[in-house]
Amino acid sequence: MVDAVAAFVAWLGASVVVLADGRRGLALGAAISVAGMAVVALDAAGPEAAASVALGGVVAAAGRLRSGRGGWHIMPAGSTPRLVLCIAAALLALWIAAALTTGPAAPLRFTAMVVIGLSGARVLGADEPPILFTAIGLLALAIALAAGIGQIAPTPWPFLAAAVIAGLAGWISPRTVAAA
Amino acid sequence: MLQPEAVELVILAAAALAFAVAFSPPAASRRELLGKGGVGVVGAAAIAAVPTFEGTLLALLALGVLHSIIGGKRPLAVRLRGPVVAVTLLGLGAFFARVQGPEVMERFAAVGLVAGLAAGVGVLPYLHPIDPDEPLVSSPVVWLAFAGPVLAAVIVQRAQSLLPVDAAGAFGAMLIGLGLINVVWGGAAAWLTESEAVAWRYSFVADWGLVLCGLGLIVADGQRAAIVMLFSIVLGRLPLYLVALHAPHEKVVTGRPVNLVVAAALAGSAPFAGFAARLLLLRAATQLFWPLAIVLAAGMLLWLPGSLRLGRSLGLPKGRQAVGVALVLAVNVAAGLYPLPILLAAHL
Repeated sequence: MVDAVAAFVAWLGASVVVLADGRRGLALGAAISVAGMAVVALDAAGPEAAASVALGGVVAAAGRLRSGRGGWHIMPAGSTPRLVLCIAAALLALWIAAALTTGPAAPLRFTAMVVIGLSGARVLGADEPPILFTAIGLLALAIALAAGIGQIAPTPWPFLAAAVIAGLAGWISPRTVAAA
Repeated sequence: MLQPEAVELVILAAAALAFAVAFSPPAASRRELLGKGGVGVVGAAAIAAVPTFEGTLLALLALGVLHSIIGGKRPLAVRLRGPVVAVTLLGLGAFFARVQGPEVMERFAAVGLVAGLAAGVGVLPYLHPIDPDEPLVSSPVVWLAFAGPVLAAVIVQRAQSLLPVDAAGAFGAMLIGLGLINVVWGGAAAWLTESEAVAWRYSFVADWGLVLCGLGLIVADGQRAAIVMLFSIVLGRLPLYLVALHAPHEKVVTGRPVNLVVAAALAGSAPFAGFAARLLLLRAATQLFWPLAIVLAAGMLLWLPGSLRLGRSLGLPKGRQAVGVALVLAVNVAAGLYPLPILLAAHL
């Protein structure tokens, strides 16, 4: 039950990242999604993996507060297609994770699939660096989460690597990109 | 355990970087080439060295982000799109390969992995947009020949271990199909497009078509063809492209003997490495399904007009650049006449 709630929280956070354009909205979405993913990772790969996800996510969310458009900007005008995307992605992932596929760890399957899909879609639909790098951080963490599917004892290394990527991506600012 | 083909391709990428540094024109910044190119080689080595499929995806994501933020003429979002789409598709492909469920999931996995590979390398249907004035280190054309080969070798090998037998067959068939599309489209576009920079890019795409066909053919000769073709991309086409980038533009384009020889190398005619790769590929196709060899042979004719045009784009190389072109041609002749060391190094 806890895992199912955590999976929902991960989707909710990823959806906020999809729906937000401001730095506070992006940081909040990343933090919510990472909280859900950390709980799912705890069950799937153990405390080291969960700690890595949580730490990487917190660093990424903190970094996101430093740069980007000010304010929240959650669901600005014209964001209806994004809202539809979030709901459709959740329904599709839920159907695949709970009905079409079998075996334990349905919340893990749902979380991995929906966060990979939403963060990839966010990169395709955005052009501001803060949004792009927030989505990339979530994508990295979700890829590590997917490594736990179908494995009895996944190693924490992918989670650690993903946390480093997410943390660093969160601190890349437009100034860094321009200076390079 | 490290994959021998990937290790060989990392070494080839390092050799291509050494060529770029040694034979770049004086105007180019060697320090920048060495620094940023060195990071690229390390990133490619990381893709090859990580032991898990997801580790490879994370290494690709990190390399893609680094490649995107080092600057360039294209918008950041456009630069990031290729690697992120690749990681997303490959991640979903691996997801479908790992879950238990109906057989159709395995087919979805194969589709995701092939599409992700195409997006990661930057071939059809996921061509990365190019800007003719893009600096060398952030160019998607250089990515095709520098990071792409290692990525393809690693992804194909790991994908085949992820997929069950039936889906691995579908994966190979899709690679061949995608390869044929790239052969035809790349060959025709390299010949017919107006811009020289775009023509060079499509010539890489056409070569990649043959590589994908080789990787998709499950017989040993197919794998051998792919590795020799990748050699000819990394140490043949890429260095010649670098020379052509800095060649002075001539008002009247004339074909000199050196341009004809370069065109022959680019077209994969004997005795260059591309010829050996094509022979191996045709042999592999004949072993598996002979009509495919006829289609491939017809597609290979498309290289001729495009290569003549690209050969002329080098102009008359002088000084250091002439030495570079001679060296590239000599290496490719040696590899074409005696490709065994390349195959042995890859354990093929």
